[in-house]
Amino acid sequence: MAIGPHRTPDPKQGGTLGNVPILISGLSKVYATAKVRVVALQDINLGFEEGVFAAVTGASGSGKSTLLNLLGGLDTPTSGTIEVGGRNISEMSREDLALYRRSQVGMIFQSFNLIPGFSALENVALPLIFSGTAKRERRKLAAEMLARVGLGARTSHRPSELSGGEQQRVAIARALINRPRVLLADEPTGNLDSRTSREIVTLLADLNRDQGLTVIMVTHEEALAREFAGRGVRLSDGTVQAEVKWR
Amino acid sequence: MKLRDHIELSIANLWKRKLRTVLTVFGVTIGIGALVAMVSFGKGMQKNVTGSFQSLDLFNSLTVFSEDFMAGDRFDPDERPDETAPSGASPVLIDDTVLEKIAALRGVDTVFPDVRIPAIVRFSGKQEFRLVQVVPARVMSSRMFRFSAGKGYGSDEEDALVISSYLLKQLGVGDPQPALGKRIVISSIGFDLSRFNPADLAAALSGERLPFVMEDTELTIVGVAENQAALGPIPVQSDILLPPGVAKRMKKLPFSNIWDLFRAREGRLGYSALNVRLSSPAFVEPVKKEVAGMGLRVFALADQFKEVQRGFLILNMVLAAVGMIAIVVASLGIVNTMVMSILERYSEIGIMKAVGASDQDIRRIFFFESSIIGLFGGVLGFALGWAVSGVINRIVNYFLAKQGVPFIQYFSFPAWLVLGAIAFSVAVSLAAGVYPAMRAARVDPVLALRHD
Repeated sequence: MAIGPHRTPDPKQGGTLGNVPILISGLSKVYATAKVRVVALQDINLGFEEGVFAAVTGASGSGKSTLLNLLGGLDTPTSGTIEVGGRNISEMSREDLALYRRSQVGMIFQSFNLIPGFSALENVALPLIFSGTAKRERRKLAAEMLARVGLGARTSHRPSELSGGEQQRVAIARALINRPRVLLADEPTGNLDSRTSREIVTLLADLNRDQGLTVIMVTHEEALAREFAGRGVRLSDGTVQAEVKWR
Repeated sequence: MKLRDHIELSIANLWKRKLRTVLTVFGVTIGIGALVAMVSFGKGMQKNVTGSFQSLDLFNSLTVFSEDFMAGDRFDPDERPDETAPSGASPVLIDDTVLEKIAALRGVDTVFPDVRIPAIVRFSGKQEFRLVQVVPARVMSSRMFRFSAGKGYGSDEEDALVISSYLLKQLGVGDPQPALGKRIVISSIGFDLSRFNPADLAAALSGERLPFVMEDTELTIVGVAENQAALGPIPVQSDILLPPGVAKRMKKLPFSNIWDLFRAREGRLGYSALNVRLSSPAFVEPVKKEVAGMGLRVFALADQFKEVQRGFLILNMVLAAVGMIAIVVASLGIVNTMVMSILERYSEIGIMKAVGASDQDIRRIFFFESSIIGLFGGVLGFALGWAVSGVINRIVNYFLAKQGVPFIQYFSFPAWLVLGAIAFSVAVSLAAGVYPAMRAARVDPVLALRHD
């Protein structure tokens, strides 16, 4: 399976980053309401080299998803920095963060997060709307991307007409449509049976191996992580408990 | 995002919630419809009045009064005393010398005295009381008159008259054409002025010592005039017009108002007023000045018309304000629809943000949706306002036609009203979309994606 993350870099997409190491230093995230103060992440220091397949594991509430949301530019840290390809995303404006999400990272989720009223093709093409790609071009690129994740025959189906595994493939196709260097996966197998889970993680591993795509996957299935990922980070109560290199 | 994508995405989103979108658009439709009907009514009234002023040549007309005729005004506490008026001196009498002086002024086309005779008009067994107006034959050819049948009398001596279609109808004749050439009886009332003493007014009022004489004059109908609008003191507003030669031969009361009576006592019997027609509205001001210099009062309809225009401006604003209430209600409907839409599409907004939509993109999606509601509401609202006012117009005309009133277009739809209504609808909808759009743009993607 060949998914080319970068054939021709598009300068409109915020420029391509030749080498995209991810550096996290002193990262903390505190959710404070009037009554409660929840420390989700505390003083995280981590580095991910380009082309790595990393698994972030830990019990629920350990801060895995928070870390991924911060990496994905969906949330901003309370303190500390996240540098992606030399740019500090924790200091970006909302507008720049939107551009970062559109062009530098792709995200997939446990609940797939597809738009129910859109067909598979329209869901995959959605990010291209925001980058101002013409409709004909969008449909062509989205159809190609769906074919590459093995869903070439199901382009006009609504999410409700697809199986869980198929929906996650659509989500992967959508995450990669803008050819990012980094794919962030938040519990991608959480809603799938074990056979389908393996298929999805295999697809991620293939993308990582064949295209050099950096994949950071949050999961609580440690066995699956150990089988496919190159290295693992275990979080506990918002701090890094262990860092392992499996291969 | 491309404009086309914005439009397509907005229409797709609106169409997903058909019933609610249709109801919201309908709300705007009613609001704009009400506004359009109100404004077009105001504009229609204004157009009719302006139109009749123009078609009746009223911008070219002046009425000249003697000072004492207007004496009543001096008792009006709101009226500033006119310093230019010759105080103490006896007022200028309007007689043929004055008439000829005014007729000689530059720009003056025709001058004729305002003479009205109280009379009973008898025709085909029916009778009506009217003030019969004496109008020279040469005025008949002016634009003031439009005939639904026949034409004006040709000479001042002809045994002829012009009757209005309105009076003819009152006398039981609906069709003017067959009335032409028929004889009509004018019973004028005369009395011996020498025997009248204003000191005996009490006795006069009780009907004693008033030796009235009725005299019948039979005249031929030569023309039936279209009904004259009776707005303000326009020069010709009588239902019966007679040539001066005929009027001279008739027995008649030598006055048509109380001031004539007092003048008659002083032996100063002039005309109560002169009707002056100018060759162009440009002469209104210079002639007014000249005539005022003779110690006479001048009334120009053109001046009155400015007041009328101001009145219409106020009327239009009041009508528009009433229409606005419906618009405000409709815009609240839009706000409600859009806020509901945010709640329903909360996770969708989160997804869009996660895949790279900026705050601006989200804001615009909502602005486009509300402006599309406004556009459809505006177009349909205009159509509704147009249709409803058309129906009202027909109904009103149907009932007025029975009373002899000719067909009138009560509503006017100038081009700016079409475009203005639609543009206004879109603008109001955009304003209604501001809050929902801002709120949608502020949706936190992390919370939105955790939503389900």
